[in-house]
Amino acid sequence: MTLNRTTLSALAVLLASVALPGTSNATVTVLGWPGGSEETALRATVEEYNKTAGISDADKVELLFFNREGFFDKLQADMAAGSTAFDINLVATYSIGRYAPYMEPVDLGDGAAKTFGESVLKTMQFDGKQYGVPTDLSLHFMYYRKDLIDALMKDDAAKKKYAEIAKQYLGKELQPKDPDSWTWDDWAATALYFSKQVNPESPVRYGTVLQMKNLLFNMMVFQSLPRSYGGNWTDEEGNITVDSNAYKTGLELYKKLYDAGASPKDSLSYEYAETNAAFGSGQAATALQWNAAAADLTSAEKTPAVAEVTGIVAPPAGPDSRADHIHGLGLGLNKNAKNKDGAVKFLKWLATEDAALLYARKGGSPALTPDVVAKVAKERPDLVKLGEFASKYGYVMNGATSANALSVYELQAKEFTGYWSGQQNLDDALAHTKAGMQDLLKK
Amino acid sequence: MAIIKRAEARAYLTPLVGFLLLFLGFPAVINLIYSVSTVDFQTLRSPTLSGFGNYVSVLADRDFWRATSFSLRFGILTAMIECLLGLFLAIFLAPLLSKRSALMAPLMLPLMVAPAMIGLMYRLVLHEFAGPVPYYLFMWFGDSPAFLDVSHALWTLIVVETLQWTPFAFLLFYMAYVAVPIDVREAAALDGASPIKTLWFVELPLMLPTLVIAFFIRFIDGFRVFDNVYALTGSGAGGSTTSLSIYIYQAFFKEGAIGKAVAASVVLFLTSLIVLYGLNWLAGRRRRGP
Repeated sequence: MTLNRTTLSALAVLLASVALPGTSNATVTVLGWPGGSEETALRATVEEYNKTAGISDADKVELLFFNREGFFDKLQADMAAGSTAFDINLVATYSIGRYAPYMEPVDLGDGAAKTFGESVLKTMQFDGKQYGVPTDLSLHFMYYRKDLIDALMKDDAAKKKYAEIAKQYLGKELQPKDPDSWTWDDWAATALYFSKQVNPESPVRYGTVLQMKNLLFNMMVFQSLPRSYGGNWTDEEGNITVDSNAYKTGLELYKKLYDAGASPKDSLSYEYAETNAAFGSGQAATALQWNAAAADLTSAEKTPAVAEVTGIVAPPAGPDSRADHIHGLGLGLNKNAKNKDGAVKFLKWLATEDAALLYARKGGSPALTPDVVAKVAKERPDLVKLGEFASKYGYVMNGATSANALSVYELQAKEFTGYWSGQQNLDDALAHTKAGMQDLLKK
Repeated sequence: MAIIKRAEARAYLTPLVGFLLLFLGFPAVINLIYSVSTVDFQTLRSPTLSGFGNYVSVLADRDFWRATSFSLRFGILTAMIECLLGLFLAIFLAPLLSKRSALMAPLMLPLMVAPAMIGLMYRLVLHEFAGPVPYYLFMWFGDSPAFLDVSHALWTLIVVETLQWTPFAFLLFYMAYVAVPIDVREAAALDGASPIKTLWFVELPLMLPTLVIAFFIRFIDGFRVFDNVYALTGSGAGGSTTSLSIYIYQAFFKEGAIGKAVAASVVLFLTSLIVLYGLNWLAGRRRRGP
């Protein structure tokens, strides 16, 4: 009998230790973005936090990760079910509205604005309330081949050919320019000039790589074009303005380049990875791509064909402005958190300058104000460009943090790719998009 | 004795019935309720009954019919091609395989790969700058087609599906072919039948049940396709490669239109049920004879 009791007690202890992992010494659970630099940086930062004096055992942080595939769908299902498995969860700019009903706003204190700046804090706001700490920022860079552009600028015959192509396809006699002063027309003329189908003398096969797959993230890459022509999802009164001339111009320019053969034939199935492979092969002169690709495209080990000759500038300018889509990944408070006090304590610490610098040094990509980023500029020069572009050109479309923002991107992806692939005309594509957005954004 | 048997039968059946009620019955009831409700992720636990609006919305949605058309075309074409190729291979390779049965193993390898992995693999294989197929096409012909654009995507997907699943049809047909009694073949030969006539009038009729079953299994698999298409083209430019499964997934997760997604799945379920009952009735009629 004694043996049985002992055995049962041991079994109970074993089961409890399996079923309740880590509850003995960490009670703030953070659900982070799995894989990649975000996970590495968060792990290292949390390790430092847990060592900080004054953090009680009950407020120590443990991390939880699951797969990236379908992450936001799974997170939505979990949060809708009132999950208490995590106190702090990942949130992204375009999904704040979707998760806001299951989260609580947090006051990050005055220091947060000094660390990140107001425009970056905005990427984690919904209905004027702060829902998270912006840990990583994503935007777009225009990657280009320095060697090709330099050669073009020095060759008078090439300049003449360039002007002829610009006149023929764009109706304007343009001259080659330094990429940092490109307008979208300059970029388009360059893309056409460096495409074999347009200019058989081109040293590369394509002038650019357009990400045109029916995928919401590709719409984020595209949006900066109409935005720089003054485009927005809605006006200040909330009226849908996606059928504006700005969107028409942007959509037509993409289609013109694709139809002319300035981008690979399979561009309608291209997303991040395909674009990297195309540009990295050395057969494309330019590519508008996420900043996350910079590390690979400038690494001689990973992309030997172009690493030494890849230049990076902000996306080209339109008549209205130069614009760069920004969205952030961040961490916010689960409404059903079991340890809200501990979670808020961690989030406030994460928004301090020291924590942000630590996170940056450990490989994260926070967008920091110029004064703060200067302190890590030597170790992370890429963050200087990230912060500069975000503060100068960063924008968030009206309605792009609403509950249905992701659905709006999905809708645009379907309708715009329908136009680019020739399945419907521009007016129909914009009419369908407008009707769908009216429905989605009124909710 | 009969009572004991009945009690035993109940005892044996109870776990199965319990399992079915729990894992199939409960979700089915929830689905039916959601399909006639206004519901989203915030109201999962408190849906509001709203009549048959979701069904009307699904049936009036041009994308639903487009997805149905894609699934039907994909299902029928892949099932037909896989069965024809599988039949040809089964008959053509039968003499070789009867002597070297170990060759069956490499022929079955494609079946061992997850469809999503196949999709990812072909994303790489067909990529203009990283894939071997465009590489050699450029080398030999100076150009390579856009395998995944709107005009080629359906056929590319069909070829990918066929390459993976033809071995399944081949396996079934080979087993049916070798099961044809040797004395029947000998009798046909004695009667002077040529190999073609023996195949057409003797072997194929005996293999017919297997041919029909294989066709329907492959059709069902093709009709409900999701993973490899989703990995390879997503829903396609303008939604051109949206299968019914992808349509339901997108309506549920991407649009948050849970009622609409569930209504579409109920429509699909009822249609499948009608088709299966129809086939069962036809098979029963055939067994009973005229």
